[in-house]
Amino acid sequence: MRTATVSRKAAASSAAGHGVNFLRVLDSEFIKFRTLMSTKILLACTALVMVGFAALSAWGTGQFADAAAQDPEAAAAMAAQGGDLAITVPTSGIAFAQLILGSLGVLLMSSEFTTGMARSTFAAVPRRTQPFLAKLAVVAVASFILTAVSTYIAGLVSLPILDSFDLKLDLGSQQSIKLLIVNSIYVAAVAAIGMSLGSLLRNSAGGIMSLVGLFFVAPIAFQLIPGEFFEEARKYLPGNTINPLTAVEHVPDTLEAWQAALVLGAWVVVPVVLAMFVLKKRDV
Amino acid sequence: MIEATGLRKVYGEKTAVDGVSFTVQPGKVTGFLGPNGAGKSTTMRMIMGLDRPTAGHVTVNGLPYAKHKAPLHQVGALLDAKAVHTSRSAYNHLRAMAATHGIPKKRIDEVIDMTGLSAVAKKKAGGFSLGMGQRLGIANALLGDPQTLILDEPVNGLDPEGVQWVRNLARYLAREGKTVFISSHLMSEMAQTADHLIVIGRGRIIADTTVDALIESQTRKRTLVRTPDTSRLGVLLAGEGVRVDQNEPETLEVSGIDPRRIAELALEHRVLIYELTPLTSSLEEAYFQLTRDEVEYHSHLESGTGAPGNRGGPAAPGAPGNPALSAPAATMEGTRR
Repeated sequence: MRTATVSRKAAASSAAGHGVNFLRVLDSEFIKFRTLMSTKILLACTALVMVGFAALSAWGTGQFADAAAQDPEAAAAMAAQGGDLAITVPTSGIAFAQLILGSLGVLLMSSEFTTGMARSTFAAVPRRTQPFLAKLAVVAVASFILTAVSTYIAGLVSLPILDSFDLKLDLGSQQSIKLLIVNSIYVAAVAAIGMSLGSLLRNSAGGIMSLVGLFFVAPIAFQLIPGEFFEEARKYLPGNTINPLTAVEHVPDTLEAWQAALVLGAWVVVPVVLAMFVLKKRDV
Repeated sequence: MIEATGLRKVYGEKTAVDGVSFTVQPGKVTGFLGPNGAGKSTTMRMIMGLDRPTAGHVTVNGLPYAKHKAPLHQVGALLDAKAVHTSRSAYNHLRAMAATHGIPKKRIDEVIDMTGLSAVAKKKAGGFSLGMGQRLGIANALLGDPQTLILDEPVNGLDPEGVQWVRNLARYLAREGKTVFISSHLMSEMAQTADHLIVIGRGRIIADTTVDALIESQTRKRTLVRTPDTSRLGVLLAGEGVRVDQNEPETLEVSGIDPRRIAELALEHRVLIYELTPLTSSLEEAYFQLTRDEVEYHSHLESGTGAPGNRGGPAAPGAPGNPALSAPAATMEGTRR
């Protein structure tokens, strides 16, 4: 009988004195992350969208610059933008990257509950905050790296296009590097918010809808609703922190960069802490 | 070793587990038996620290599950055949689980081989049949070579070979000195696998005893008597605590009196008897008897003409008109703990 192999292993595995520690949980979550086809597809889509949008944007910017050369009105508009139109070309797909990677954050956590995987996960590691934090680290770091790498590739792809319109883009310039890093951190933050929503709601559709509501619907709704409160509150929405964070100079009627950083930080920390608290309390 | 004390779980209005206390001993297969909705799975989830008890507590190998440093080496559990991400392969699922405890790859291959999953290990778990899902769940439970094994309805969906395999595995592990706790709603399965039985109904423990003792306590000894003169013998036997039923011509089923006394009475009154057979109840009958009042979801067919195979109804399969089943409720109350 095959059962004979059970006991021979008994001595070996108990003698080794295995136990759970955070690094092992991190390893487990990383294995989980890279062994799902859907994750790979979403990551590939993000890279594709980032590069594709940058190429489109490079072409569009070139057209605009050409028009500006002949049209004084367009030239005035260009000057109003600070003169350097090409600098934001590599990160022009960021709105879509945040949507996809935010949804990925939601899915990676909500699918634990919808598939029943959570019972295996939390039986193996009963201190539930450990798998949560490990997953959070995997999701955030992966989102950061993917966004950073896609942004750089997007920049490389845009260069020849911009060049054909006689536009200059220096990927090594301070502002280029700042844009790349800040945008990547921002996308990682969105993924972390998504993961917290997935953990709190334990439902994929609900989590993604909440995320879309927070990042895409709320800014528009707050703009449409009259009243000073909504006008002010709008600045504090997580999706509206990215512009102040990447601006060369402070734009009036927006948050200062440090304020935006704090607001975005709060938008990450509050859901994460709440999700961990609820995860500890609720039955799996 | 699993020790539960006053374990209670309330979901809103409904009390799923109502203050159960029991001990599951090592070196034995302990069956956890009860009708659907009796609280078996909830109790097992509380043991595993997945559900928080409303009251009471439970320890495994001396500690609450969550306090163990290496829980997979202490307890292996199959709680739900589909506690697996449907899009991940069986192998990768086990790999992720093993990683949390630093269990080597060799052990993953071993449990895959042991559970007969080799051919499908690289396939997505979502496409597995119920039986394959169960095997993966059992592989998962065995991964850490745990001291205590908790299996919730492990034979559901398994083919006969698989059922036999689970049975042998459970007995083998118990012989090795491990604690094996298996739930089932099928008494026949438990009769063949378990040494000890904990019977639960509507969240309460209604029996905690050995398989033999359960049959003993839940059945009244019956004797099959064949005689041409059933009416006369019936009158002779009638008396305190004796129950006589006639289901076929020339045949009586007598309970509450032993075969020797029946023979003596027949001899005394010169009634011809040409068969006198002691009948023993099966575990299944004992189980019906025990859980009759505790079944949460009664089938509505049971008030009819005794639909075959109707659990909990008066007409148990294989025992038509079984007098033991219609024994007064008082005998049952006496054996509850």
